Amino acid sequence: MTGDPTDFLYPFIEAGEEDASLLVADLVASAGAKIADSRALRVATLERCRDDVESAGRAMAQRLRSGGRVLCFGNGGSATDAEAMVALFQDPPGGRPVAALSLVADTTVLTALANDIGFDVVFSRQIMAYGHPEDIVVGFSTSGDSINVLRALEEGARRDLLTVGLCGYDGGAMAGSEAVRHCLVVRSDSVHRIQEAQAALVRELWSTVQRCMDEGINE
Amino acid sequence: MVDRGAEGQDTQTALGLASAALALARRFAAGAVMWCVAPQWPSHGRHVAVEFVHPVIVGKRALPAVHLEGNDLAGSLRLLSRPGDVLLAVSSGADRCVVDLLRRSEAWGLTRLWLGAGVPPAVDLAEHVVWHRASEAAYSGDLVLLYHLLWELTHVVFEHPGLLDLRPPAPEGVCLTCSDEGRVAEIRAVRGDGTADVVMGGVGETLDISLVAVAPGDLVLAHAGVALTTLEGPET
Repeated sequence: MTGDPTDFLYPFIEAGEEDASLLVADLVASAGAKIADSRALRVATLERCRDDVESAGRAMAQRLRSGGRVLCFGNGGSATDAEAMVALFQDPPGGRPVAALSLVADTTVLTALANDIGFDVVFSRQIMAYGHPEDIVVGFSTSGDSINVLRALEEGARRDLLTVGLCGYDGGAMAGSEAVRHCLVVRSDSVHRIQEAQAALVRELWSTVQRCMDEGINE
Repeated sequence: MVDRGAEGQDTQTALGLASAALALARRFAAGAVMWCVAPQWPSHGRHVAVEFVHPVIVGKRALPAVHLEGNDLAGSLRLLSRPGDVLLAVSSGADRCVVDLLRRSEAWGLTRLWLGAGVPPAVDLAEHVVWHRASEAAYSGDLVLLYHLLWELTHVVFEHPGLLDLRPPAPEGVCLTCSDEGRVAEIRAVRGDGTADVVMGGVGETLDISLVAVAPGDLVLAHAGVALTTLEGPET
């Protein structure tokens, strides 16, 4: 850190430092502020997206009632968020289980497609193979610009599947794509805060789907 | 719905994460691998591992974290881990598989971090436990927030190289029978002379097992070279 023009802001950053208490106090303050940021963003996102979540959940329930399944995908941390959504829909803590499939789970299919064709098609090719018109595709991309996620949403739209996209920042290419019927944007420029708010959106989407399927008010 | 957090819970969470991050950064600096398990929620286990291996912030160093899954996590971790490594478990408080792994990890000489959601664990089985009490936390973003912050704070600690070498004292358990200090040992081989080869704190030792009936893989609480009592396995 020597010579950095911002050194004066961090007088305790030095190799000879031996007392960890200042650092721990700094860590506690930082964690406390980020917990508050995360919560505020989730509250604001759920409020701003309330109507979009309601209409997406309603449309998903309609597809599910006619035999559709939820197909989820994303890259890296977003792949795990897609898997978490599949787990929540398929094995919920309460309510009815719903058919859901992760398109990131099968490393054989992923590596075969990536090796033989390219990483851009790892999700779209699976939709070509498994997708039915009643199905719902849900793509996660914090930037909104992941090519393989966009291509899969486009493939889904081409086959009349319901398309749902979750993204962050300003929505990227996903927000401008005509292929995405329901686009839920978390307005933040922190990947971590975006993913936390996306989890809250998915939970709200799940709860809306459960309610619409129970009440049959999705016509 | 977003959980507003109980009074004082956020402060507890921040304190727990700060001390866990300091310990984790010190273990990484000493060459540790962080093994991640989340049997109930494997997506959370994979998510926390990828945060460390492939940071979202360009320029942050890649740190060795590996998610393990499968039917025999104890068998995998026994073979893969080395004394001084870290076990990060993400689970509910009632996950028996995780409880068993945390107990064994003490015998294997691992530092244990336990992040969880819902009813907190009844027993203290990790050096660092950070909990979100809302049962919905696994789905609401609150559990993701815990490990995102663990990653962020760990990298802050790396900006303080002078503090990475200081090792905290090794924690000591208490014997359930005599309330004196006791340590968890895992039986490796039973000999015919009333003793057994065990691993304790990551080190191979010999214990007197005349007071207990044990088989390889069992956990015992040991004091002064004697196995005093067996600890429950995951199936009991």
